Amino acid sequence: MRDVPLLIIGAGPAGLSAAYRAAEAGCDVLLLERAKKIGGQLVKQTHKFFGSEKQFASTRGIHIVDILAGRTKDLPGKVEILTDATVLGIYEDGVVTADIAGTIEKIRPQAVIVATGAYERTLAFPGNDLPGVYGAGAVQTLMNEYGIKPGDQVLMVGAGNIGLIVSYQLMQAGVKVKAVIDAADRIGGYLVHASKIRRAGVPILVRHTVEAALGDSEVEQAVIVEIDDEWQPIKETRQVLDVDVICVAVGLSPLADLLYQAGAKSFYISPLGGHVPLRDQNMMTTLENIYIAGDVAGIEEASSAMVEGELAGVAAAQKLGYETPDTDQLKESCLAELRQLRAGPTGGKIRTGLALAGVYS
Amino acid sequence: MRKTADVVIIGAGISGLAIGVHLAKKGVKDIVILEKTFPGNGATGRCGAGIRMQWGVELNCLLSKFSVEYFENVNEILKNDVDVEFWQGGYLIGAKDELEAEQFRKNVTLQNSLGIESSYLSPEEAKDMMPHLDVSHIKAATFCGRDGHLNPFKTVEAFVKAAMDLGIDIEKNTIVTGIEKTGGRVSGVKTDKGDIKAPIVVNAAGGWSKQMAELAGADLPVYSRRHQILVTEPVEPLQSAMFMGFGLNIYIQQVPHGPFIMGRGDADEPTDLRMTSSWKFLNDMAETVTTLMPRLARLKVVRQWAGLYNMTSDAQPIYDEAPEAKGFYHACGFSGHGFMLAPATGQLMSELILGETPSIDISSLGIDRFKGDMLLPLESSVV
Repeated sequence: MRDVPLLIIGAGPAGLSAAYRAAEAGCDVLLLERAKKIGGQLVKQTHKFFGSEKQFASTRGIHIVDILAGRTKDLPGKVEILTDATVLGIYEDGVVTADIAGTIEKIRPQAVIVATGAYERTLAFPGNDLPGVYGAGAVQTLMNEYGIKPGDQVLMVGAGNIGLIVSYQLMQAGVKVKAVIDAADRIGGYLVHASKIRRAGVPILVRHTVEAALGDSEVEQAVIVEIDDEWQPIKETRQVLDVDVICVAVGLSPLADLLYQAGAKSFYISPLGGHVPLRDQNMMTTLENIYIAGDVAGIEEASSAMVEGELAGVAAAQKLGYETPDTDQLKESCLAELRQLRAGPTGGKIRTGLALAGVYS
Repeated sequence: MRKTADVVIIGAGISGLAIGVHLAKKGVKDIVILEKTFPGNGATGRCGAGIRMQWGVELNCLLSKFSVEYFENVNEILKNDVDVEFWQGGYLIGAKDELEAEQFRKNVTLQNSLGIESSYLSPEEAKDMMPHLDVSHIKAATFCGRDGHLNPFKTVEAFVKAAMDLGIDIEKNTIVTGIEKTGGRVSGVKTDKGDIKAPIVVNAAGGWSKQMAELAGADLPVYSRRHQILVTEPVEPLQSAMFMGFGLNIYIQQVPHGPFIMGRGDADEPTDLRMTSSWKFLNDMAETVTTLMPRLARLKVVRQWAGLYNMTSDAQPIYDEAPEAKGFYHACGFSGHGFMLAPATGQLMSELILGETPSIDISSLGIDRFKGDMLLPLESSVV
């Protein structure tokens, strides 16, 4: 049994930011990461970030990992990061079990920050189990992490930011994107991404869905169709595209299994991506001393995940008695930054979701 | 939901369903089964669903023999074709020490006298039957090839289908909030979805049977203890028989599609109706199973869960009418064996309720036995 003040689960942007702020306040941190390297989804984000200077605008995601990890060093509290460490359960006596490089270990933390991120949703259609049907995350991993082209001709399903960015990255890698389709009646992602793709001659077809993947042992064709106001296919609009990759980018859902298992109260809140644990202003769930940060608390951008992580890190450390004269001000500035990140028309969905979750009135 | 019924059964676990089906087959109309969540969500769907005739007291042997024969013919009896996956690979039961081996000799003599074809085995004979068992930990074993295990979900499906074919109403997501009495007789049940008038109410609420009895002002000498269980990843067939040990404190089976399911008892488990899981169980279970079956050490656990044993002080069930409320019947206190006894429970409770002569003498399973010193001999063959 290993005793630690603060356990953070997940070394993505939220978890790394939480570790930094907690250790800055003097709290020792154990940070467990399931993958073999830290960074979460940042490791495949080769594009430059938007937004404010504070959240590393103009820096590529892959480089932000180094900045975030660098910040956790030489602080009053010690941050120990273990990779290949999968948390298995949060038990009712507060003990957390983890598979650390093949060995089951038991950890007794005084507080936990769950920053597990999200999982990719997929679509049900005939042939969706053929090789060649990918989630957008898998395509990004193959290309941006391992330098492997997933195929030559791609149908992208989903015109949200991920679908648009991955389409552009595929084009940069010399892969032909045949079309980007989305069942919604408008493009969900930022116009700046959509414009770049359109300028390169790739059609973005809204009100379209994928009906089937065709092929004997791998994807050879995709059947797409326009849908009507009732979301029913309009048969005469059916087209068959010759593609060897169907990339499904239809959104993410919070990876909240551990919190569900631990008994945290959660609700299905569609604008936040699915079942989301409830939390207070300090990011604490309905379970004492169990906090959340990042996509597990509702699907957003990496920038807000970092700020939520900082907030949870400061708040959890404070709850455990690790405070600095700046603590309260720091929490205020995190809340202000989050409000700023969620302002404007693009933040409408998240504001609605958080209002349903009781975070914003 | 109907406003009146001839019989209301509380609990759509395997016991409540079997009682309903048996009553309906005997011609009782208007039966309603009330279920707090969904059928089989209590101990029924959480148990190992093993069934064995190798018991230490006569009555348990007879009840489980009835059930084995029933499950062997379940599709004919229930008149549907749901495959309940009754796997009769036998039970191999290991004795931890000489004392237990001596008890097992007596058990086999008793079982054989009742027509149960069990046999007493040396550790070497047990090894032949189950090569991955480290028999240095056992002094002897017994085996009965007609024992086995079922798929509890498919079994629930078969009973639910039969119940619906017989016109029984199963009211899901319906919470019993009160039990009405008129002049010492039960007269109806109150629920969060409305009230039902009924002259007969059956308490088949398993882990929650004591709480149901209290609603009728009846005292039920039972308590519920959490028991935990786990399932591993599926692997190639390795183990045909259920292995069980009482002193060794384990039951372990490989289900037909490959995963191993195993559990053990623990006197420190909570008795407050919690169905949470503990890390301690994983530790203890891993230690127990890898000591006995070292080959399983590399198997990955995919899930753990818990259910409630509704316990009596002699580890045998209560089949009786409540003295405090005429027409209110208890079928509970199964002490971890409710699943395997369910067919007998259905048959015997329907006979008891209808005033028929019971197929098996269950006069010793009345609630009075807990008042004085009429307790049954403790069944020691339990995990």
